[in-house]
Amino acid sequence: MNIKKLGKLALPYLVWMLVLVGIPLLMIFILSFMNTDGVSFAGATWTTAAWEKMFTLADTTNLQILGYTFLTAFVATVICFLIGYPMAYIVARSPFSNKFVILILTIIPMWSNSLLRNVALKNILSESNILDSLLSRIGLSFSIVFANQDQATFISIVIGLVLTFLPFMILPIYTVIEKIDESLLEASMDLGANRVRTFAKVTFPLSMKGVTTGIIMVFLPCFSGFAIQKLLSSGTVYVLGSLIEVNYIHDINFVSMLSIVILVLIFGSMMIVNKVDKEGATLV
Amino acid sequence: MAKKLIELKDITKMYDGTAVVDHINLYINENEFITLLGPSGCGKTTTLRMIGGFEKPDSGEVVMNGAVVNDIPPYERPINTVFQRYALFPHLNVYDNIAFGLRNQKVPKAEIAERVENALKMVSLPNFALRKVANLSGGQMQRVAIARAIVNKPKILLLDEPLAALDLKLRQNMQYELKEMQRKLGITFVYVTHDQEEALTMSDTIVVMKDGVIQQIGTPTGIYNEPKNRFVARFIGESNILDGVYVRQNLVSFMGAEFDCVDTQFADGEPVDVVIRPEDLDIIDAVGAKLIGEVSSSIFRGVHFELCVMVQGKEFVIHTYENRKVGEHVGLRVDSYEIHLMKVEHVEH
Amino acid sequence: MGVRKKEPGRITRYLRRPEVEKVLQSIANVLKYAFFAFFMFLMYLPIIVIAIQSFNESTGLIYQFTGFTFDHWKNVLTFNLDSSLMKAISTTLLVALLATGISTVLGTIIAIGIHSLPQKKRQGMVFLNQVPILNADIITGISLMFVFKIVAEVIPGVFGIPSLLIAHVFFCIPYVVLSVLPKLAELDDNLYDAALDLYCKPAVGITKVIIPAIMPGILTGMLIAFTMSIDDFLISFFNAGQVNNLSIYIYGGYNRRLAPEVYAYNTILSTVIIVALIAMYVSSSLKKRKNLKREPRHA
Repeated sequence: MNIKKLGKLALPYLVWMLVLVGIPLLMIFILSFMNTDGVSFAGATWTTAAWEKMFTLADTTNLQILGYTFLTAFVATVICFLIGYPMAYIVARSPFSNKFVILILTIIPMWSNSLLRNVALKNILSESNILDSLLSRIGLSFSIVFANQDQATFISIVIGLVLTFLPFMILPIYTVIEKIDESLLEASMDLGANRVRTFAKVTFPLSMKGVTTGIIMVFLPCFSGFAIQKLLSSGTVYVLGSLIEVNYIHDINFVSMLSIVILVLIFGSMMIVNKVDKEGATLV
Repeated sequence: MAKKLIELKDITKMYDGTAVVDHINLYINENEFITLLGPSGCGKTTTLRMIGGFEKPDSGEVVMNGAVVNDIPPYERPINTVFQRYALFPHLNVYDNIAFGLRNQKVPKAEIAERVENALKMVSLPNFALRKVANLSGGQMQRVAIARAIVNKPKILLLDEPLAALDLKLRQNMQYELKEMQRKLGITFVYVTHDQEEALTMSDTIVVMKDGVIQQIGTPTGIYNEPKNRFVARFIGESNILDGVYVRQNLVSFMGAEFDCVDTQFADGEPVDVVIRPEDLDIIDAVGAKLIGEVSSSIFRGVHFELCVMVQGKEFVIHTYENRKVGEHVGLRVDSYEIHLMKVEHVEH
Repeated sequence: MGVRKKEPGRITRYLRRPEVEKVLQSIANVLKYAFFAFFMFLMYLPIIVIAIQSFNESTGLIYQFTGFTFDHWKNVLTFNLDSSLMKAISTTLLVALLATGISTVLGTIIAIGIHSLPQKKRQGMVFLNQVPILNADIITGISLMFVFKIVAEVIPGVFGIPSLLIAHVFFCIPYVVLSVLPKLAELDDNLYDAALDLYCKPAVGITKVIIPAIMPGILTGMLIAFTMSIDDFLISFFNAGQVNNLSIYIYGGYNRRLAPEVYAYNTILSTVIIVALIAMYVSSSLKKRKNLKREPRHA
């Protein structure tokens, strides 16, 4: 469209974003260095108390929580990648008529409430579960037995995260692989590379854009959420998000500090995405 | 007496500080087929868009039927456009595309049906009304785009490189059809192209543009035979351009020899550019010829051979029906009326 | 100079025989699809369990299937639910429908605006637009909560449905924008001019030509917005005030038994969406086939 006048339509959006993104970010930063009563600054003073609550060796509880959060998110992301990449590849390279159906199959779980899915997962992972109850009617049994409670909790959380966020890994990777020109692969084979080499030297590098987006879209919610972890551990495990959940009413300064920890990760990821994907083509 | 339909008076259009169209003056007569010709970036499309009302000139006036129309938006001008790459509405079928303008003008339904049908016949797509636009070939889309414009019976039809996306054969057919259509409809056509052959075949008047400036306005034969400067000579067909001196009336000297000529509007001793078209040079025996050279290459072009002959370190291109061997020494001859002289331009781009 | 090729060994030679290669190829294919099917199955397992639970007669024990019943379905379909679940579901649907509608309209307008900007500004806006998508939901939730807390000083009633709705519109718009932008980029540059040329006023040109031409993108954005809104927990959690949506309701009940109607509701909703999508797909592919039959492509 050639008329520049229409550009004005984007202006209110800029204001809207500044109000709803810019101002709160500024507040988060300032509040993390203060002791305020809610969002009211009356009588507040500058302090690093919130930061000391996390980064202190006197009481490492919060640091341990941070470590545990990172570990679960990291493991879940790696597993999502290891499963999601091949799945995306298989869909993208399958005959055309199947593609839409398979893609819809990938998306359908997203229309079930994700927390309810994790409630159901909790059910399956319990020693006496509904599947077992059904199967026992025909003389079969189904039960997953863990070595101990800690292991059970960790594995349950990772499975929950993986099954919830796997589509967010598959879709962006699928989008880029699908767009790779077949003739590039033919050119590579023509120039003497075998299938494996073609994949390693052509397909995979070209799909990095989707991989980056996928990793971020999986890691960030795994790292910052708390509901799935709470559901699957029956409330026995604390993650970074849980600290926010517990404190968001009473200790807004601590919550702001925790937000900054997450924000640092997010800013890093945004820089990466902005580098590899300027128009946001892999995000939808 | 031809009537002036549109006049561009001292029009300038700037983009980011540079003039894309630079003080041009031009008038278009009723019923004329006028072509704006030039390389890409010469300002021809911008000029067309200002006539259509899609762009406003920064200075100057667009006058239509005696009234200044600078501020009249496109939807109030009696002008329709055939856009580059057609700009057909992808969500509408052929019929609805063509009826689009009529519906916006609140033409009665029955009349719309009749006019659309006639327009489809005009572009020889009689049974295409219900087709999806996406399923048409390039040539068919082109025809729909034309039908969509002419169905509104505009006074002026603007065409922006309408044939650029078609293959050679189709392009040649369409050139002929467009010319026919213009004659039948009696509409003024303003046509933009970078293809000199297209311009020569179809136009009544050609406007050659470069860097936002009009280089020459004339009939196709006028522009071909008497280009005003080196740019026009090079852009319209192939030519050999030589430095020469106008010795005196009917005598010009170049390549160390003197030749009779027919141009007269120069001062004695004035330097001139000499243009000789490749088909105007004849190959003769080297003995006794004024221009002697060695054939450096020969390419068969179908109807003729294209020879390159080196004369005193200067390469001449010659179109001839009889082939000569590479390395052969030949003489070149040119008739006096086929030597065209141009004023020397001091600024050579 | 020739490239020296290593003479293939006996095993390699055997593996390269066409009949062997064919067998290997089909084994690889089977493995490939088995891998895919297995993880697909895992993703569906919780949904299957939800469906089973929606027919489970058991009211006491959570993990026992005591018998088959249609009661939960019947209760959902007759709106015979306990009041907290009823409220949660109606809040979720109300907010999702409103947020989807509002963000679709605004997102489309914004996308047209962004598309018309010069390249530098456009890239800046596209980046800004991605912030809510890439931002962790928890940060978005807290950020909006801060804003609403300030607003609440002036307008005390903001927490609840109003804050929830604004928050959902906020995170839905970027998805609509991102779905519409590529469709705009695909359009012929002259399409809008062509509309003006054919006697459309500027506003009419947009509604009659641009909007229909980018409709697929708008619909995609709408679907994504609805999906995101209906499933949201984190952002709603911090901005719902005293109101519960379905996710908050489920989360709040993590340690006790959920009303069995939740399972029925969830199964019904996803079935409706899936059936609607399949119907759309089938009708569009039927249409396509019909078109192909009627209009053979001309060269």
